[in-house]
Amino acid sequence: MPELIPFRWPALWTDGAKLDLLKGTPINCIAAEAPPPFSLGGLPFVKLDKDRPPEGVTLQDGVWPRVLAATRKDAAGGGATGSAWVDSNASLVRLAKLRDPGKIVWLTYTPPDGKEVVPLDSFVKPITEAEAFGAHWIIALDTFFAGQIDKRDEKALGQWQRMMAALRLTAARREQRAWEPVASLAVASTFEGDDKLLSEEFLNLAPRRHLAYRALRAADIATASFTRQKAVLYLENTPPQGAVLARLLEFAQAGGLLIVPLGTVQSPPEERRSEHTVRRAGKGRIAMPLDKWEDPFTLVDQVHVLLSHREDPVQVWNGPDMDTYYVAGPNEGQAVAHLIPYASGATLPITLSFRQTYRRARLVTLDRQTTVQPTRGPLGTEIAVPEFTDYAAVELEA
Amino acid sequence: MTRREWILGAAAAGVAPSLRAAGAAPALPVALARCRAYDATVLANLRKIFDQLGGIGSLVAGKTVAIKINMTGSLRARTGYRPAWNTRWSHPVVIGAAVHLIGEAGARRIRILEGSTEDDHPLEENFFIGGWDPADLLGAAPHVEMENTGCLGSGKEYKRLDVAGGGLIYSAFDVNHSYTECDVMVSLAKLKEHEQTGLSLSLRNMVGIAPGAVYGDSAGYDQPAVRPYGALTMFHTGNRQPPEGTPPEKDPKSPRELGYRVPRITVDLVKARPVDLAILDGIETQTAGSGASLEDGAPRHMRLINPGILLAGRNAVCADAVAAAAMGFNPLASRGTAPFETCDSTLELAEQAGIGARDLQKIEVIGARIADVRTAFR
Repeated sequence: MPELIPFRWPALWTDGAKLDLLKGTPINCIAAEAPPPFSLGGLPFVKLDKDRPPEGVTLQDGVWPRVLAATRKDAAGGGATGSAWVDSNASLVRLAKLRDPGKIVWLTYTPPDGKEVVPLDSFVKPITEAEAFGAHWIIALDTFFAGQIDKRDEKALGQWQRMMAALRLTAARREQRAWEPVASLAVASTFEGDDKLLSEEFLNLAPRRHLAYRALRAADIATASFTRQKAVLYLENTPPQGAVLARLLEFAQAGGLLIVPLGTVQSPPEERRSEHTVRRAGKGRIAMPLDKWEDPFTLVDQVHVLLSHREDPVQVWNGPDMDTYYVAGPNEGQAVAHLIPYASGATLPITLSFRQTYRRARLVTLDRQTTVQPTRGPLGTEIAVPEFTDYAAVELEA
Repeated sequence: MTRREWILGAAAAGVAPSLRAAGAAPALPVALARCRAYDATVLANLRKIFDQLGGIGSLVAGKTVAIKINMTGSLRARTGYRPAWNTRWSHPVVIGAAVHLIGEAGARRIRILEGSTEDDHPLEENFFIGGWDPADLLGAAPHVEMENTGCLGSGKEYKRLDVAGGGLIYSAFDVNHSYTECDVMVSLAKLKEHEQTGLSLSLRNMVGIAPGAVYGDSAGYDQPAVRPYGALTMFHTGNRQPPEGTPPEKDPKSPRELGYRVPRITVDLVKARPVDLAILDGIETQTAGSGASLEDGAPRHMRLINPGILLAGRNAVCADAVAAAAMGFNPLASRGTAPFETCDSTLELAEQAGIGARDLQKIEVIGARIADVRTAFR
């Protein structure tokens, strides 16, 4: 059975005449809290009930992805230390996949309502964002968009076609969904309890600092392999114990950087760096905070300095509000960097620098697929990515 | 006595050698070289330039040397695809060459310094973010360190620098300890224009010694911020005074206009921490400075250019005057004339303050001729 690609039927469309719109598109089911009051012409209907999600699916609320605009004249939407605030579903999807491995994540949010005017060209990003992280957004049109489709408005129909093109693009690359994040840092936590907000926000805000991570559950640490990681952050304010602590110490002894909560080890520190004390442990180091961790954005920065930007597997220039989700196949010879800009409109010309050497690269956008020539930069393989909107992927071969 | 011996002797005696009549402001030679690429020729050219200035041994031997580089603006921004090193920052190859030669000349310790408007990271981290391995510079000579001077860095408190002569806007500044714990100050700047002050050369580069945690947008009213963030708006507009305990402006009723304030604050900073050696990287750069765009039809259009020059001098005003001329500007220009259309001339104010001469008639240019290497920025 093909994978279900869901669409939320607009309330404005009170009969099945618009079902023609879905013909020949990747959309193959209607999803909603209640079925529309007419025949769906053979299309399956999937009831959305958080307590009883469809088989093989995990439902998550999510947010309309964007850079948050100013809501008051005197107050621009700002994140920590003044950078723009980005509403992103990246960490939500990645955590949901961690909690329910093997299930596909469906994002159930709908376009902003009320007085806000949602530009037609902003409906592509929810699709590209979700698909880049291996999820589906339950495509939902607002009343204006649905009305414009009703009127056969050229711009609305054009945007609809662009949305379907985004679905086709990722459908053709579905095997990449199993690829693992390339990251020097592993972030391990229960993602529950008192430190739930801290750990979840750390993952949410890490991309704002361009800090790549691999997330794993604390329960999996004892059996986890960290061969691709240079550092492990145990993101709980209660020190690890037992087999978990033993595995983490083993990682440090073998040469890794272990970042653990206050009180985990008693050995005297040799230096102070980035609001943490650092001591040697075998071939590696152990860092502990001076005080209990509280501010996730500050912690992202501190961890990044402890690890060093030297260890960034990919760097990006001219993409301040962009997520770079870099994943590699099983043999690491193949990789792809998904570029998800959250600001509206076209990006600037982007430069990516990968620590790994790649000999071939292909740029994939909604408008074109082209071969690009990697060049050797001071810190690795550089790829020039011309301006694009909504989404781009750089497919790489070593 | 050779000319080199005469310059060395004069420098050792602490006498500012005036090769021609210089009036109150000293006029020191400036060495200028054609240097077309960031490759091995940079070291050879800079060595020759230092030799032409009489050598730097007497200046740096046994001393702690601070090198204020320029890494202004966002660390993750490029002009198109061109790295910031090639457009608006001091290029690491030039920094590395300077570090190597200063070390070779016997410096006891070399500190590479720059602030940040984004973070309190170690400067080494900001090099990585900018796209360069700092090990290239830290290994260019013995005893090389780096520090982000936008905040306390490795210091425990800010150190005060009094402005010689009392100052035009400020009478003193609180700065990172590295600027008081040095014997020799080198300003290693990019050859570039500035949107608001006309030129951004070795004098303007010294504005960056003011820590963002004290004078930037993140500064508290009762004390400096822990982390620098944002522009030095209080310098630009005079919208507020520095944190309590930091010397305020002399006259809060003086004009609040950027074009009046920043050139004067620049002069104050150079009077507070005089520049002993100015080096200008004009190998590759961009026109029009910050706020401009590569796009055709932009209100302020920018070009990526390769002037292919490197120059240095023991007097920052003289070096900047020669640099300005090499950019196609008249260093004697005043407000209203390019490149100072909307601001007072920092060169003029610095000359009036007795820092150095800007009249090319008074400055000996050694090496390449300005006319032969001039690149019109406009």
